[in-house]
Amino acid sequence: MADYPILQEFTEEIYTCNRTRCGFCSVECPVFRVRRLETYASRGRMLAARGLLEGVLEPSAELQEVMDECLMCGYCQARCALHNMDIFASVRQELRTAGYSSPKHERTATKILEEGTLFDRPKPIRRVGTTPLYLGCAYQTKPHEVQTIVSVLEKVGIDPLISDEVCCSYIVGAVGFADEFESAQARFRQIYGPHLDGAILTVCPTCTATLHDEYNLAAKHALVAVAERLADMDLKPLDMRVTYHDPCHLGRMLGVIEEPRQILRALGIEVVEMEHHGTFSTCCGGGGGLLDVDRNLAIEVSKNRIRDAAAVGVDTIVTACPTCQPTLLRGAGRMANELGHFVDVLDLWELLDKALD
Amino acid sequence: MTDSEKLNAALTELQAFLGERATAAPMHRMAYSRDWSPRFKDMVDLPDIVVVPHNTDEVVQIVQVALKYELPVIPFAGGTGMGGGVVAWKGGIMIETKGMNKVLEIDPDNMSVTVQAGITIWELNEHLAPYGLWLPHQPESKRACTVGASIGVDNDSTFGVRYGKILDCLTNVVVVTGRGEAVRMGHRKASFSSTGYNLMHLFVAGEGTLGVVTEATLRVVTLPKTRQVRGWVFPTLIDGARALERTLASGLSVESAHLNCRQRLHFYTHAYRQKYGREPEVPDWAESILFLSFAGDEDVVEFSLGKARQVIENEYKGELVREQEIVEGYWDSKHRLAFLPFKQKWPDSQREKKFGSADVGVPMGRLEEMYHAFLEISAKYEQQILGMTVYNESPNKVSPSISFAIFVDDSTEERVRNFFGYVREMSLKAVELEGTMSTYIGDGDRLGGFNAYEHGLSYEYMKDVKALFDPKNIMNPGKKFESRWIAPQGT
Repeated sequence: MADYPILQEFTEEIYTCNRTRCGFCSVECPVFRVRRLETYASRGRMLAARGLLEGVLEPSAELQEVMDECLMCGYCQARCALHNMDIFASVRQELRTAGYSSPKHERTATKILEEGTLFDRPKPIRRVGTTPLYLGCAYQTKPHEVQTIVSVLEKVGIDPLISDEVCCSYIVGAVGFADEFESAQARFRQIYGPHLDGAILTVCPTCTATLHDEYNLAAKHALVAVAERLADMDLKPLDMRVTYHDPCHLGRMLGVIEEPRQILRALGIEVVEMEHHGTFSTCCGGGGGLLDVDRNLAIEVSKNRIRDAAAVGVDTIVTACPTCQPTLLRGAGRMANELGHFVDVLDLWELLDKALD
Repeated sequence: MTDSEKLNAALTELQAFLGERATAAPMHRMAYSRDWSPRFKDMVDLPDIVVVPHNTDEVVQIVQVALKYELPVIPFAGGTGMGGGVVAWKGGIMIETKGMNKVLEIDPDNMSVTVQAGITIWELNEHLAPYGLWLPHQPESKRACTVGASIGVDNDSTFGVRYGKILDCLTNVVVVTGRGEAVRMGHRKASFSSTGYNLMHLFVAGEGTLGVVTEATLRVVTLPKTRQVRGWVFPTLIDGARALERTLASGLSVESAHLNCRQRLHFYTHAYRQKYGREPEVPDWAESILFLSFAGDEDVVEFSLGKARQVIENEYKGELVREQEIVEGYWDSKHRLAFLPFKQKWPDSQREKKFGSADVGVPMGRLEEMYHAFLEISAKYEQQILGMTVYNESPNKVSPSISFAIFVDDSTEERVRNFFGYVREMSLKAVELEGTMSTYIGDGDRLGGFNAYEHGLSYEYMKDVKALFDPKNIMNPGKKFESRWIAPQGT
């Protein structure tokens, strides 16, 4: 047995998968749907993990590239009783310890660790208010979208407070920088300290899941707060027929599945479900740092999600994630010729703001 | 040329037309190193090369390269087989068939669909649903199992008692034989043909030993509007089987009929236990439980349920399972594949031991004898019983295809060998009871050679058939005619 102390904690789980082979995780894995090779699905990754443990496989750049081509979207884990995502994160961590990690992931993690942000922020967004609202890196670069969100929250009686913030550092942990993720958490707690004891509203699904699950904070996605106030809202009906794309962190991981649909229905919108939705929704292509390491693969994944929408006869997808929307729009652009029409991807906050006018 | 030189040359030639879809990278080989069959815990069988073709022409080229260098060719599909059918224990070129997953034609007027064989049953039914159609061949592995895999092993179907198995749906195939040729076999979209020989049938349960199935044309049927499932308990196993026979004889169309021993119920009521935190209650006197489903128009289903109750409860003393949640739990596990809380029975049940089965078939009247042999032989080989399920797989007939399932302890080689000792003795018993060694798993890497005991002289003809389609013995060698687990009888 080779020496991989982090991965070895999961030895029994890896053997359990190896002796089971039910494959319910495999064919619908968004990366497998593109690559069509077992190694890119959970079941094959589990065998690769075993190969490392038993010394059949050595750490290598090729193995690291395959392991990096995982969206960490959790679809496989939703179909399984095992801790698939923890296992794949451990493999990434072990490969990094052995000297194999993506230069792009290294750069991303270094930037977050040094600068406290995933993206360059032209001007930090701040707002005086009463209810803490954590925007996260993606929304910090989207002032127009934040204006829309604030407008909706104000209209439903919430007075958001946007204060100094630093990256939640989800991606640092996801790509194999476990120790650095610990220190990033300490920095977050220091900077966001005044708000740690109470409820925090969030808008990015990934930040929400990270603050809730990793930091154990009372983070609540702002759409849930909006859904709680639906009965008191005066909404202008929108005559639309759409499908809703569940962001992985919001739907599968946090269980916020019904609330966005309640809002859509309250807006008078007909919601048509795709085959994969709710807990078993599939990734847009933007998860797990894949856009950094293989943009083409990420776009192929997003194209499949557009195909999913077209298969149920809708030409509008609504979502609520600053990563899903642009990623799906990329896929939609490339699918327009194949489908003969453009599948638009809208943000739920925009529709809410319009209906609240 | 040395073996290594042959492999390098073959890989170069494969990459010339497949590019990155041909690889000898160790991690990809590792990902294809086993299926769901019992084996030693640390056993690793690596293919030498993995390829992902997208169409029949590419498979032809792959087989031609394999012929040139005399390398084994192993078609890989769902990977859920329990007999080692896709295990590359002789090395060679692993063909990942799931890269061939296109629907080539949906023909609603003729209730027919033509697909590439690497499409999963689940994916195919997603394509058919908008037309109000479905492929009723539904193995429990349908999320992973492909059309080609169903043909290759002739696996079970939940709805066999109404629709039969894959062969009852299959009208045409394209196969790439061991001679490196693509050959169409079957009767196009017609249901039957009495011209020539039914060569297509040889590929059903052929396990890729004659060729690779690349395309299939299948009859599909209308999705039923409604479905009802019920369960009944019986004091003996044969009472359950006779009640089913009488229900069918009454003229009812039964959609699925699964007869379980009481131990097996535990395995299929995962959702029930999650929901209620207790074992489902079954009367002490009950030795078997029969689950039936009826599907179609609502009034017909209601009538069918009423008539079935009359037959089963009045004539055979079957007792309806009053707690419908037990039945729904079974159906979730068996057909809907909905396991709460989003975990599922397979990994959870196999943390320490793994599922294994003797999948013998015997005629209806020998069921009790076979069941008692199961209890005796499993005890003799110190196997932990998981339970028995009798599937019925031929339309409108009691047609036992039986899973005598075991939790296999794979912690030591001796215990794994004991499991195969159990399979061997169960197989001999089944033949003695006028039955067969395997009804849905296939020979895999376990029964080859030993199966001559079942087939007698016809086994020699099978060798000639093999030589006709695969003269260089490159198609999935080590299967059908050779076993790594069970020695031929008399040796």
